[in-house]
Amino acid sequence: MDRLLSFAFQLSLFLILAFIALPILVVLAASVSPTTTITFNPSEWTFQWFTALTASRWLDPFLLSIKLAAIVTALSGLLGFLAAYAVAYQKCPGHETIMAFLVSPLAVPQIVKGVAIVLFLSSSGFYSLLGTPGLVMAHIILTLPFVLRMIAGAMYNFDKRLDQAGRILGATAAQRIRFILLPIIKPGLFSGMTFAFILSFNNIPLSVFLVRPGETTLPITVINHMEYSLDPVLAAVNVASLAFILTAILVFEKIGGFSTQIHGGSK
Amino acid sequence: MSSNDIEMISVTKAYGSHRAVNEVNLAIPAGEFVSILGPSGCGKTTTLNMIAGFAHPSSGDIRIRGKSQNGVPPEKRGIGMVFQNYALFPHMTVEENVAFGLKMKKRPIGEIRDAVKHALRRVHLDGYGERYPKELSGGQQQRAALARAIAPEPSLLLLDEPLSNLDLKLREAMRVELKDIQEQLAMTFVYVTHDQDEAMAMSDRIVVMQNGVVAQCGRPADIYDHPRSSFVADFIGKSNLLPIQEVQRSGKDWVVSVATGLSLRAKTPDDTLADPPQYCCIRPEAVRLTMVESDASTSANRLAGTLTRMVNLGAYFDCFVTLQDGTVLKSLVRSTRLPGLTSNQTVFLSIEREAVQLLPR
Repeated sequence: MDRLLSFAFQLSLFLILAFIALPILVVLAASVSPTTTITFNPSEWTFQWFTALTASRWLDPFLLSIKLAAIVTALSGLLGFLAAYAVAYQKCPGHETIMAFLVSPLAVPQIVKGVAIVLFLSSSGFYSLLGTPGLVMAHIILTLPFVLRMIAGAMYNFDKRLDQAGRILGATAAQRIRFILLPIIKPGLFSGMTFAFILSFNNIPLSVFLVRPGETTLPITVINHMEYSLDPVLAAVNVASLAFILTAILVFEKIGGFSTQIHGGSK
Repeated sequence: MSSNDIEMISVTKAYGSHRAVNEVNLAIPAGEFVSILGPSGCGKTTTLNMIAGFAHPSSGDIRIRGKSQNGVPPEKRGIGMVFQNYALFPHMTVEENVAFGLKMKKRPIGEIRDAVKHALRRVHLDGYGERYPKELSGGQQQRAALARAIAPEPSLLLLDEPLSNLDLKLREAMRVELKDIQEQLAMTFVYVTHDQDEAMAMSDRIVVMQNGVVAQCGRPADIYDHPRSSFVADFIGKSNLLPIQEVQRSGKDWVVSVATGLSLRAKTPDDTLADPPQYCCIRPEAVRLTMVESDASTSANRLAGTLTRMVNLGAYFDCFVTLQDGTVLKSLVRSTRLPGLTSNQTVFLSIEREAVQLLPR
């Protein structure tokens, strides 16, 4: 009976993974397909669509998305840490209310946020902030709740006696943050920042309101391109950004070691 | 040894209307091993936290090395502390843990390396420096925490029940080691515990706390032999505690009647006893149990009863003797002394008059 149950679990796990992975395999196949219609023929394949990516038409949005994601990740990591330190670590007066307020953007659909930000910028005379500055701000509104939750979770689990031990050994507040708190909550910080990076890099619903002509992010460029044609270049773009995101996650994990955070340290 | 490392002057810590620590006065001489002993909730940990600076007295003053610590944060007090859960930094190796205090004080690297080596050798952890705390056993973690606390060579070390997570054998071994380390380093140790054996084994002085106040403070033998209240008598060691109904005295000689109607003769060392005694306390080892009636010529209290229960402690038996009037007295009998002793037999007890201690409360 146990065996049957365990087999059922394994089967359903396999089906779920297949469901997630198969569409990606189709895209992967399409990106190496020699014909302009998306087909898959294993005997004939080509990298020609990938060479198209070096054109500035694709390269510029790609670089913009990376720049944007990097700035958003760094800033939301910094802001998330500072907010979590006050709210979750020091438990400042009203910390529960402040926490609820800081994560409240999660409850607002991205489309609504996007419209609201555009209306706000245009009606308050900050129309010139459209483009990268506006994108950075909008993405931070989106990512901050995730980063904050992750860091706050790590800080709630932090054993305060470690801080006391640091104090009695003569460490100042700054030394305790640098040598004790930060290294211990690092997995939480980096998993939050990884979320921020992915959310920003992939974002469409907010970005679509805030990009300026000639200065669009990669997902928006893909959407725009799709309106006119559905060719294998799109598949190549997606495969390239998939590879990029996977690399980014690996790099973050290498630095932050947050996989323990996600699967509970059962390595 | 004449100067005091810590002085607490009518220190009170109130949480709302509850006084966790109430008007405590305490002087802890430099270089002594002092235990603060009491049941949970007696205020001993709060007292330690106030000395460390993690809690602030609601009123009163704490002086360390003669200086008032009012407004001085823990990081500036120059004291060491060993925590109950050790609080080792999990992301640092043992060496890095031990070096932490010196590193924060920005000591030269060579000096740090020597101090770390020295501290690790002192706690017998040489060779474990490269390991992480989670790779150590409980006892080794405890040693690492101790090494970390002593490496910066504070004159004063606070220990918050550091042995309570260890098994009995290790705990007993560590008692001896802690005492050795304290003597070798000539540090003042303030040791908080609820374990009276630990306190008796290591301390130069024991402070017994009860409900936020100091119940008694003194050398271990003094406290054991002359408890000042039934609480202390009961908490330190085992005792037969009997509430007193009536007393008759002439000078140092007393006759006390306890609730069950039993009369006992007692002798106090001097004839000054301010309050009328409420309890009498007899240590089980002072109750001499025999299988035949003892010599009638002694002035000791002589009683007869039935041995109702024997608890084998290995080297000793804990014997529970029910007297004719229903009083149950505990007696400690070395197992080799009375072969053939069984329960439900009639036994005889003799208790020296000096062993019947009269307690005012």
